[in-house]
Amino acid sequence: MSADVAQPSSLDKAKISSLVREQLAEILEKSPGEIAEDVPFTDLGADSLALIELVEALEESLSTYSAGFHIDDEDLESLTSVREAVDYVAAKLKVA
Amino acid sequence: MGLPIALDAMGGDFAPGEIVAGARRAVDELGLEVILVGVPDLMGDPQGLEVVGCTEIIAMDDDPASSVRKKKDSSLVRAAELVRDGRACAMVSAGNTGATMASALLRMGRLPGVVRPCIATPIPNPGTTPTLLVDAGANSECSAEMLVQFAQMGATFVRSYYGVDDPKVGLLSIGEEPTKGTPLVKETHHLLAELDGLNFAGNVEGRDLVPSPVDVVVTDGFTGNVALKTLEGCLRFVFGTVLSAIATNDDTRAAGRVLLEYLAPVVHDLTPENQGGALLLGLDGICVISHGSSNATAIMNALRVADEMDRAGVVEKLRKTIRPD
Repeated sequence: MSADVAQPSSLDKAKISSLVREQLAEILEKSPGEIAEDVPFTDLGADSLALIELVEALEESLSTYSAGFHIDDEDLESLTSVREAVDYVAAKLKVA
Repeated sequence: MGLPIALDAMGGDFAPGEIVAGARRAVDELGLEVILVGVPDLMGDPQGLEVVGCTEIIAMDDDPASSVRKKKDSSLVRAAELVRDGRACAMVSAGNTGATMASALLRMGRLPGVVRPCIATPIPNPGTTPTLLVDAGANSECSAEMLVQFAQMGATFVRSYYGVDDPKVGLLSIGEEPTKGTPLVKETHHLLAELDGLNFAGNVEGRDLVPSPVDVVVTDGFTGNVALKTLEGCLRFVFGTVLSAIATNDDTRAAGRVLLEYLAPVVHDLTPENQGGALLLGLDGICVISHGSSNATAIMNALRVADEMDRAGVVEKLRKTIRPD
């Protein structure tokens, strides 16, 4: 594996949560502290476009841990909060 | 020589024929450089213009956000990528408005600090510079912070593009008094009134769009789009009624010939194809949205506006407006 690719084992759910919250905070121009894990994305002010921004940003960031990391389009509808996104990513990367 | 403008050759009701023809006119009559982005087998004769090929087209009825993701090799997405990658100075499309916004946003990105980009539509103000309506349809639901940013970006655009020294900004409401309007409007009024560096003229009403006492009219995208379409419908009705009356008999036709000579400049200003389309403000790049029914003249003017925005350095000025440090 390339030295530039981080290991999925260096990820845990806490780090994934932090990444998701930071990315969403940047998109919504809020602080990460304002992004609660269980509040629906729509209640945080994220519209469909913001969610696509989040998905694409996560795919880019997480590709350093797993080359070609991709969130399947048919799964997008089920990701309605930070917690659900974190659980999804953790399952895909087989992270505890 | 500057960078060319990337033109989505597949978007619009009359694509690709009228789009390519508009590009050719922009090159021949205005001296612009244009790259066509489209599906080569469907584009027909590119009339000697450079083509960046793609394999997909985002349709007018495709879902904006998901279509950008599903059709990564579409003409819209590729046009936005040309700007992102520094191969084009701007992009223009007469295609799916939502998908154009999504493509531009997802590929070019927002300027740092911008909560949401907005659609800015110049409304002709006969005899003077147009009035800029922001937001004309990008964001149906807005926060006060977003409206304040729209006001700031609108004022910066008017200053840098039209050369108006200290643009007057009005907030669209249902009355002039600061106490009138929805809670959002009242909150925004308060914020705009307190803001340094903005010439806030207070509330304006629907009747103040044309002619307008201000240079920028700020509102949420839902209200702005309704206002714009109402204006378009009214103008079409009035012009149609006048032309119909003129055509009544020989006397009215003779009168019409005299009248139309004086009305011609006003008609020219109010004809959509001469306006150059709507602009996306708040992106890290230039994106001009031409009307879906754009003909070659409309496309040529949209390309002209994109070029003028580039020459005026609009994006850098917007960057400094939102993040002065």
